[in-house]
Amino acid sequence: MSVFDLNNLDLLGTVLSFGLTLIVFSFIFGDNLLFRFAIHVFVGVAAGYAAVMTWYNVLLPEIAVPIIGGSQAERFFALLALVLSTLLFMKAFPRLSGWGSPVVAYLVGVGAATVIGGAVLGTLFPQVLASINLFDFPGSFGNSSPVWVQISNAVVILVGTISALIFFHFGARNRHDRHPERAAWISAVARIGQIFIAITFGVLFAGVYIASMTAFVERMTFSANFILLFFQL
Amino acid sequence: MRQLRTSIVVAIAVITGIIVLVGYFIELPVLENLRIILLHYAVIFIAVALIVGVVNLVQVHWKKFQNRQPGGVYSLILIISLLVTIIVVGYFGPTSTPSLWIFSNIQIPVASSLIAVLTVVLTYTGVRLLKRGLNLFSLLFMATVLIVILGTVSFQGFRIPGLSELRTWITQVPAVGGARGILLGVALGTIATGMRILMGSDRPYGR
Repeated sequence: MSVFDLNNLDLLGTVLSFGLTLIVFSFIFGDNLLFRFAIHVFVGVAAGYAAVMTWYNVLLPEIAVPIIGGSQAERFFALLALVLSTLLFMKAFPRLSGWGSPVVAYLVGVGAATVIGGAVLGTLFPQVLASINLFDFPGSFGNSSPVWVQISNAVVILVGTISALIFFHFGARNRHDRHPERAAWISAVARIGQIFIAITFGVLFAGVYIASMTAFVERMTFSANFILLFFQL
Repeated sequence: MRQLRTSIVVAIAVITGIIVLVGYFIELPVLENLRIILLHYAVIFIAVALIVGVVNLVQVHWKKFQNRQPGGVYSLILIISLLVTIIVVGYFGPTSTPSLWIFSNIQIPVASSLIAVLTVVLTYTGVRLLKRGLNLFSLLFMATVLIVILGTVSFQGFRIPGLSELRTWITQVPAVGGARGILLGVALGTIATGMRILMGSDRPYGR
């Protein structure tokens, strides 16, 4: 296949894609005009795309369509949403932004409650249950491992969980004419927690590194294929 | 008058928040329905808030261009690319060929190239960490990174014996312990912050 097999739009797209890849890669040698150009185009396109997707997926079916062709009740709910959305839209204009505060308060209240519900039901309970289940033998680490291995692994995880959690306890006693300090035992446990946190961040870093390396290989393969295609002219 | 308005705004946040929160934990059909309606409206308002954000983006960059501030030309480029995208995607539809052309040939290449550049940035960060004075924690961090990476990839089929098993143990035992501690800490912090909002102590919504 050569570049002439592609239609004009595809060819333009491939050239644009290759050019943008090179421009972004030029950041490796430092910030430059072309990189800034590409980033601003990227942000503009992303924001525009997000705005249109929001219109098509939420505002059109939830407000516009019910107002035009919905039942009486649907029309009422959509009109109420339209009025409140207009108030919220006033946040974009500094002089009128005060009108949007009640809707922002509504969003913050609902958002805070949703986040609390999510944290309790989605993180706190499942994580505590998972920590308890570690000692539900056999089965925590598969039936193939000996029980002593399962017990030691469960103890390591439990120690890691508790010590990492204690690391984030920053309460300190106010001591006369000296800097406030954490209690000695909390400091000691927090240092163990720091070890576990360092290992966790190491694993996360390695995960991100491998993911970015995959993207790097994909972009390099694309660029190499493009150059090969071009020299087959 | 201003105090009354502030009280009304705080009351809206507290009442809606409490209704939604109680709806999560108490199984009452009325509460459940009310929670669904409130969340439904919240989704619409979040969408409007996104549009407000885009309008604000245009306003900020237009001002920057108008006042001939440094980088003003880039602001104009941003506004043009945003408007062109809105016109093309809005007119033809998000799944049309022109919209997908923009997505495939501008969005995806720049996004994946930025992720690819992250490889270099992360390598540089790792080297800088090694150059600085090493302590127990940075040493553990770097050792974990190396073990996980070397235990994941193979060099033309060759793997260092035992490294894969060590990687599995690290990711499934100590890393899980640390991550669980961090997650619980984040959850407790989130609950505390959320409760402050529901009690009206924190008011991040203006007057």
